[in-house]
Formats: sequence, C-alpha cells, structure tokens
Amino acid sequence: MSEAAQLLGRIAREDRAALQALYKLQSVRLFGVAMAILRDRDAAADAVHDGFVKIARRAAQYDPERGAAEAWLGSVIRHAALDIARRRGREIPTDDATLGDSPVEADQLETLAAGEDGARLRECLSRLADKNRQGIVLAFVHGLSHPQIAAKLDLPLGTVKAWIRRGLHSLKECLA
Amino acid sequence: MTAQERDEMAAEYVLGTLEARESDAARKLMARDAEFAQLVTDWEARLAPLLTLAAPEAPPPGLWARIEATLGDAQPARRVLRFSWRGFGLGASAVATGLAAFLVFRPPAAPPMMTVLLTSQDQSAFLVEAEHGQIRLAAVNPRGVEAGRVMQLWALPQGATAPTSLGLVPESGRLSVTPRGIRPAPGMLIEITLEPPGGSPTGRPTGPILFIGRLTAAGTS
Repeated sequence: MSEAAQLLGRIAREDRAALQALYKLQSVRLFGVAMAILRDRDAAADAVHDGFVKIARRAAQYDPERGAAEAWLGSVIRHAALDIARRRGREIPTDDATLGDSPVEADQLETLAAGEDGARLRECLSRLADKNRQGIVLAFVHGLSHPQIAAKLDLPLGTVKAWIRRGLHSLKECLA
Repeated sequence: MTAQERDEMAAEYVLGTLEARESDAARKLMARDAEFAQLVTDWEARLAPLLTLAAPEAPPPGLWARIEATLGDAQPARRVLRFSWRGFGLGASAVATGLAAFLVFRPPAAPPMMTVLLTSQDQSAFLVEAEHGQIRLAAVNPRGVEAGRVMQLWALPQGATAPTSLGLVPESGRLSVTPRGIRPAPGMLIEITLEPPGGSPTGRPTGPILFIGRLTAAGTS
C-alpha cells in the first residue's frame, strides 16, 4: 500500500497528524491539479482547502481495493475545483493564450508514459481524432465545459458533445 | 436510464462536463446506488493518469493553517501559548540568557524553499523542498533508470564553481539530506545526473543532467 493510502487509513481514524503528513506529501501535486482548472492561486487554494476538509471527513470512504490513493485524492480535489468553477459560471476566458496549449500537444502526452496505466491510456488516447483527444484533456485537466471546449476548438456545441461521448466510449473499449 | 446512459453519466461526471444540477444528481445517485458509484470509480481510475498533466505547484504558505482552523483544531496553538506564558514566569534572567544565546547562535533564518526538477522537455520529475538546512527529494512520477546506472543528486550554491554531491537517489525516488558545508538558499541549483554504480568516481558530475531546478521561496513559484 502506498504511503498516501496508509495515511488515509489513519485519517479515517481521526488522526490529525496523518492529515498533516498527507498534506505535506500531496499538496504541491494537488494544488497543481486545482491550478490547471482554476488558473487563480486564491481560487485553487479554496479548492485544496475544501478538498482537504472533505478528505478529513470522508477518508473512510477510500477503499484501497478499488484504486490508488493518489487517484482518489486527485478526484476529490478536481471535483472541489470544478464546483468552484461552476459557481463562478465557468466564466474563465477561453481565449487565455496559455490555456491548455501544452498539455494538448501529442508530445506532452509523453508524461503519461510513466506507469503502466499511463502508457495504456496514452496509447488509447493516441487512437482518437485530434480534436476528440483535445476535448477530453481540456475537460479533465482544465475543467472546461462543453460550450468552452466548442469555442476553444471552433466546433459546434452539438458536435463537441457527441465527439466527447464517442471518445469516452472508445477509450473504455480500448482500455478494457 | 439504460445501462449505457448510466455509464455515460458516470463518465461525464468524472470528466467534469456535467452542469451543476446534473453533477448534483450524479452525486445523489452515487450515495444511494453502489453500482453507479462503482461506474464512477472505474472512470476515475481510467482517467487518473491524466492528472499528471497538471504541473505541480506549491500552495500558499498559510493554507494548511486554514484547513486546520476549518476542522476546528485550535488545540495545539492553545497549548503552545500556555506553555510559553509559564516560561516567562520561571525567571526573567534565565529567559534573557536563553534569548541572548538564541540571538547569538541562531543560524541565519531561511524561509521554506522548493523547486520542481524538470526534464529537458519541461516535464516535472521530482519535487525538492528545503527547510532548516535539510533538503528533501520526492519523485513526482517515479521512473526507473537504465540498467547499470544510478541517479545522483547535486546542489550548486549561487556563485559556486562546482556542485556538491547530496547522495544517490534510491529507487523510491525519496531522499532527505542535511548537507554539510552548504546551506540551501534561494537561487541554489539542484540537479540529478546519470552516473555509474556507486556514484560519480570524481566527486563531480560525469554523466548527463537528467533533471534540474532552482530553489525559490515556497509559494512564490
């Protein structure tokens, strides 16, 4: 079991020192996850705050049998950041020049090659059409809504929705 | 909902493309429908590797204190306060002597520092934190190294001409070291080179630089 998974077990038993240790271990990675979505340090701090409060209260819901602790922590912080983005009406300008530029480039997906799961996902993503793959990365990594992705990729909204749904379906089949 | 619609809802909940109301509906369904919750967990696992595309970044320094305050844990702070008052009551001269010694011998205070070591393609590989003279290394994306070679960690203080070895990087990618002779300071270069087994035979890096970064005060990068 990873260090993070062991700490979650202690946090579930209300061990506050374990929560602090988990914060030390994971906050830089998780703050980066929130920043990718919110692109604002104050808002990202709010997301990590909300996320860690949830982690403290719901650590018992983490089941090591069902996945890596890092993935569970990432999803808690992502959803906290997405909630903040939704409350703000996702008004983040999509014409931000720095938005999603690099992670969407195919060579940046090299990062995913670390670890077996990452290599498989990368292989499956590479089989998707470019805009399909970009839509999925823009949504997951940068928290863009359907209309924002449509604006960013210059595609009709209905097309984006259909492509993303189809892309997810292909990914699932490819990863099975 | 058909089985396919349920799976699509789980997928788009995880992807983050559901609007607020749909997202709330998905959470309510997760709470009462274990099968649907499992679909969500499966999607989180499928897409989790994408999390590594977000560049690690140090959170603001006061964030942990804020989390602790929200969780209603003010106890440690109260204990410290009570203790220090008792200290004052013990005798002013003892305190003054101690304080003088503290002021004279205290090493120059350095704020917590950090950097992310990047590959030549600007991908984050290691997180480095430095505080109280100690340097801690942790792999962000643990990766192996070619057979018969090891990774060696070095620090190059600003103005220095040669880096100082901080030791070999173990397979876990985690290392804590308090170097003698040099003290971590903002601007110090931290790098990892590829070296023969046992580390560089010359005391200077002999192999290529795999990862490099420069220490900055935490929270400013």
